[in-house]
Amino acid sequence: MDKLPLASLQQKLINYLVDDDPTATTTIMEQIKDHGSITRDVRLHIYKNAYQVRLKETIENDHEMLGFFLGDDLFDQMVLGYINAYPSDNTSLRYFADKLPLFLANNAPFKDHPIISELAHFERLLMVAFDAADATRFTRDLLANTPPEQWPDLVFRFHPSVQLAHFHYNSVETWQALKQEQSPEPAKEQHSDWLLWRNNDRLTQFRSLPEQEYNLITMILNGASFTALCDFLLEEVSEEQASQVALNYLLRWLDDGILIKQEFIQL
Amino acid sequence: MVHNLIKNQASAREYSLSSAVEGIAPPDDFLGFGLGLRTDHFQDVLSTKPNIDWFEVVSENFMVDGGKPKHYLHAIRELYPMVMHGVSLSIGSTDPLNMQYLRKLKVLVNELQPQWISDHLCWTGVNQTNSHDLLPLPYNEEALNHVCDRVDQVQNFLGRPILLENLSSYITYKESEMSEWDFFNNVARRSGCNILLDINNIYVSARNHEFDPQDYLEGIDKDKVKQFHLAGHTDYGNYVIDTHDHPVADPVWALYKQALQRFGWVSTMIERDDNIPPLAELLAEVETARNIAYDTLGQLERVKQREIVT
Repeated sequence: MDKLPLASLQQKLINYLVDDDPTATTTIMEQIKDHGSITRDVRLHIYKNAYQVRLKETIENDHEMLGFFLGDDLFDQMVLGYINAYPSDNTSLRYFADKLPLFLANNAPFKDHPIISELAHFERLLMVAFDAADATRFTRDLLANTPPEQWPDLVFRFHPSVQLAHFHYNSVETWQALKQEQSPEPAKEQHSDWLLWRNNDRLTQFRSLPEQEYNLITMILNGASFTALCDFLLEEVSEEQASQVALNYLLRWLDDGILIKQEFIQL
Repeated sequence: MVHNLIKNQASAREYSLSSAVEGIAPPDDFLGFGLGLRTDHFQDVLSTKPNIDWFEVVSENFMVDGGKPKHYLHAIRELYPMVMHGVSLSIGSTDPLNMQYLRKLKVLVNELQPQWISDHLCWTGVNQTNSHDLLPLPYNEEALNHVCDRVDQVQNFLGRPILLENLSSYITYKESEMSEWDFFNNVARRSGCNILLDINNIYVSARNHEFDPQDYLEGIDKDKVKQFHLAGHTDYGNYVIDTHDHPVADPVWALYKQALQRFGWVSTMIERDDNIPPLAELLAEVETARNIAYDTLGQLERVKQREIVT
């Protein structure tokens, strides 16, 4: 028999692992030696089973609340569908299920219940907050050491773990109920904005954002100075209140640990 | 002048034969007896500072930007020597080497300053599809040339020799022309890499392919083996699966003793990947390994304790 080039052999084994087509099985089977007390079929199946179990366990670990929400049967259906639709192309399983929210938003029966995709999206954002880069935080002490004349020009930057998320359904409330082992309310349309980050104790945290704070945070993301934030608040609250409201927001962000200390290059 | 504050990284303990014992002293790069570090044990390790010589970490678990696991990893690195063990190098794949992965590996090497870096003699995927499994190669000239070329590229990129580990396998390709140990030994000789010998994997593959594990040990050059793995498996009667979720089995302890008789002092560790028990249980297995080595090769004593220079 002619020698099989390595690349072709590898492609055949991968096809067998990712593809349920019976011809993929017969094709690789021809390359496997029949020996010992177990059949080639059993030998190959050890690999196929390991492949499927490993990917399923990854999704189970990453999406525990989604699993509770769906129940075993729908979860298994989702896992099979996702594994077939998006075979892993990354060296780390950490990123294997990154496209799960996309899959759930576009494939029946999951797409008929948009809260399912939102739950998956929320759980992936928690993972991003969990292992995002570290950075030194901006603190009350550092703020106190900032000369008052510099305050108007201050431009804040967020910790790398900080993320904004918008949900169209009561997805986060559903996730919280499941986490507390309670039955969630029925899914309903409910628009809300959320802030997720890793706090000073390196724990992942999240809270909902009122419209005013959401607008301020969006302004910061666009490079607005402290003066610009105050100007925005002047349109929202009385002139006497504006500076105090701005300061309260700033102190809260510092205590949350969402702002970072910035290094300035002195020319 | 500004001094950067650099955290200390623990250096390896030195061992010598006890004065009462005659025998061969351990080589300079002998680390002693260690354990695979798992996230479940981070806090226990930091709070109890167990009397263990070194830890092995899975490189991919720490190829993230930051957060709690990395914080703990660095804190533990200050206390113990470490080696890095990867699962995604895919040295045998016919895809081009994954340079993005290698760059991340190098960053982690710079952070952790490990005693050495290892991965597996296998391939994990092809054509951009990753199986996340350690898949065997056919053992023939084509694969041998291919692997040696790639080991050379990796070692050039990292600037140091790597260790490759034998895997547990369940299939044999018709294209194989030589034994796994001949292939493995040739890879090490020709590419200059060293060998991490997984004693459990030899046992598992020997059962599945019906060869004598002693032949495997004797087929590997003595001076190439720098590390041993010991792990558990699941025995299904007519075949065995390398599950790494059980204590080390008795036949594997017996094979470990045979390996010590052939290779002498080799840094040894317990590798548990699943069904993780309390830390104390794994530390007890490390002590079992130490005792078997002392019984086989002689008693060792520490020349110096870990030094923390402030």
